[in-house]
Amino acid sequence: MLTRLIIYFAYFLKSSPYYRNTKLFFYNLLENPDSRIKSYFDIFMICLVLLSVFLLIYEVDTELTRTEILFEHVLVVLFIIEYLLRAWLFNDVHKIILEHYEKAEYLNSPFRLGEVVRLILAKKIEYIFTPLAVIDLLAILPSYRPLSVLRVLLIFRLFKLFRYFKSLNLFTEVLDSKRFELYNLAVFLGFLVFIGSTGIYFFEHPTNGEQVSNLFDAAYWSIITVSSVGFGDIAPHTPGGRLVAMALILTGLGVISFFISIIVSAFSDRMHDLRENRTYTELKRYKSFVIICGFGRVGRHIAKQLEKHQQHFVVIDSKEVNASKARRLGYHVIHADASKNEVLINAGIKNKAAAVLCTTGDDVVNVYITLTSRHLNPSIRIISRANNQDNVKKLYQAGADNVIQPFEIAAMVVAEYIGQPVAFEAILGIIREEKQFIIETLCVDTGSIIDGLKISEIDFNRRKLMLVGVISANPVHRKHKNSYKVKNQHFYFNPEQFFVLRADDLLVVLGRDVAIDYFRDQIEKSRLKNGRER
Amino acid sequence: MKRIAVFGYSIMSLEVMSRLNEDQYSFVFIGKDENEASSVAEQGFETKIIDFRNDDALKSIGIGADVDILFCFYPRDSDNVFLTLSARAIDKALTIVAIVDDPESAEKLLAAGANKIIDPYEICGRKTHDMLAKPDITNILDHTVFGRHDLHMAQIEIPEGSCLENTRSCDLRLDQKHNLILIGVVDRESGEALHFAVGEKECTLNAGDVLVVLGPSREIRYFKEEVETV
Repeated sequence: MLTRLIIYFAYFLKSSPYYRNTKLFFYNLLENPDSRIKSYFDIFMICLVLLSVFLLIYEVDTELTRTEILFEHVLVVLFIIEYLLRAWLFNDVHKIILEHYEKAEYLNSPFRLGEVVRLILAKKIEYIFTPLAVIDLLAILPSYRPLSVLRVLLIFRLFKLFRYFKSLNLFTEVLDSKRFELYNLAVFLGFLVFIGSTGIYFFEHPTNGEQVSNLFDAAYWSIITVSSVGFGDIAPHTPGGRLVAMALILTGLGVISFFISIIVSAFSDRMHDLRENRTYTELKRYKSFVIICGFGRVGRHIAKQLEKHQQHFVVIDSKEVNASKARRLGYHVIHADASKNEVLINAGIKNKAAAVLCTTGDDVVNVYITLTSRHLNPSIRIISRANNQDNVKKLYQAGADNVIQPFEIAAMVVAEYIGQPVAFEAILGIIREEKQFIIETLCVDTGSIIDGLKISEIDFNRRKLMLVGVISANPVHRKHKNSYKVKNQHFYFNPEQFFVLRADDLLVVLGRDVAIDYFRDQIEKSRLKNGRER
Repeated sequence: MKRIAVFGYSIMSLEVMSRLNEDQYSFVFIGKDENEASSVAEQGFETKIIDFRNDDALKSIGIGADVDILFCFYPRDSDNVFLTLSARAIDKALTIVAIVDDPESAEKLLAAGANKIIDPYEICGRKTHDMLAKPDITNILDHTVFGRHDLHMAQIEIPEGSCLENTRSCDLRLDQKHNLILIGVVDRESGEALHFAVGEKECTLNAGDVLVVLGPSREIRYFKEEVETV
């Protein structure tokens, strides 16, 4: 009966969206390194921990008031809740139960509750022994009255800060990466201290017994000397002792410089990764962004345009010169080869990236990046640059949505300028959005005022707009003249007065930005209003 | 018929020459050596080999005489600046179009006397951004106005005594009468600037004004003929 109830409950948890959302919320709050609320929570906890340690110091020679004791209690309760929540988040109990139950059902073997409980406990115990969980526990335990002997362990609360400070973690990581060197250094240092302390004991103890009374004094002196601190409370008097001191000081200098160089080189090695990690974290926060592969001349201009229009982007370039140039401009940069799957995946091509731009100066590389990107994300937008006319087709084959040829476009501009300078300025003016005149598309939303209207019924003149044409994939419009096939849609230039607009058609209008925005607002509002009435 | 001298062998030189109508323009390509000249000559263009640093050589190909437009398409900015400077000294009325590699050189080229500076990379960058930001519009423009479809933007100047003289721009009704869209008007009375034909003040057309229209080439031709009927 109990077993059935438990299984029923496990299934209930599995299917409950409320439970899932709650768990996700706490995951975001406590564990997810990319979530915003975690950073706020971390700051809050850092303040609490510091306050509690301050209280601990204050308590040394002052009696606590009632409010202070209350605060301490609240704090401990908070710590306990946090500890339990983390234990809860560590794994999914219901998954273990269900997995076992389903296996038992499949094999027709009896479902043993005892074994499942053992597994669950094993998992939770595994959590209890993770280093950070141990620190958490040690920060809580001494507050329990019978254990007040352990009060000094409250200092472990400071170690709790490790959880909330990313940079502290980083320091341990850096030390960890140089484990081999540090281990060797420690062995050497131990050896040195051992020789130093036996030497000084041997020379000084017989004549200077007051200062070097035992081996501990000798070891203390050697460590003080080798680290070049030299308090001077113990000083050698015999020539032998002084010789040991001199040797120890000189080798100590070497050891210290070796230690510093290890730490410095470890940090500089990690600097590159760190910077890139920061880029990845930033990118994960954006709703959408563009990946620019290749920060050459074209890439730079694109970045400038995107920056001007406040769109997010990341630059990937394998050349150090280009990468550092982008870095200097304050852009997000990944210094790596964009044709590698891993690099593009890390940059977020499968998640929030909206488009990939291949703008390197080498067509072969562009084709390769295009192919890689298309393979990784079949629906992403890819715009690629072709330097040679012959490669345009190959880029389309590789999966590019659009191909741009810098010299072809420039040639077109020159030809247009020579042939029709005024028309050219007009086009350029519209494209560059000078004088606030822009060409824009307006969508005919289902149920909006213009859905089902004839062109003649919309007074474009009064709205200070000019209708250039209509883009539509709707086959109803096919009978109209002046249609131009563009990909899988048709563009109807200068549609007749009796042209009836259908839902999802796009109006191409020219006018001032304010006029266009106003009309768009009106369409949007009418759609919402009609939607409500229905 | 205007005569154009093209300096510098690049993809752009060939592109521009093939894009401009051969009925309206005649080209002469100036090569550095036999190789360049012969590969351009294969495409059916007139070619000459001269040293552009020599003023007499420049005069010999017709600069200062029958050449109306000069294209400086050398890959190096310094070459383009030198050529612009020399050509401007010979002919004050010449139209000089130059490409620029380093954006900083644009000012130098303008100072040397170029009329129009083209930065291929900048144009390409803008274009890519347009494709991202306004894919629909860019697609339509690429396929129609700039592409193979028969939809063009054209400028039409109103000649002396044209039937359109003294009509108001709002009374033209080009979209209904000619299947053309009037984008804007250059009203010579108020300067060289283009006024877009939406929501701006109405103007009365006079000889010398320029209409910028968008439409199929046949309609543009008909309209041009009508405008030019005196």
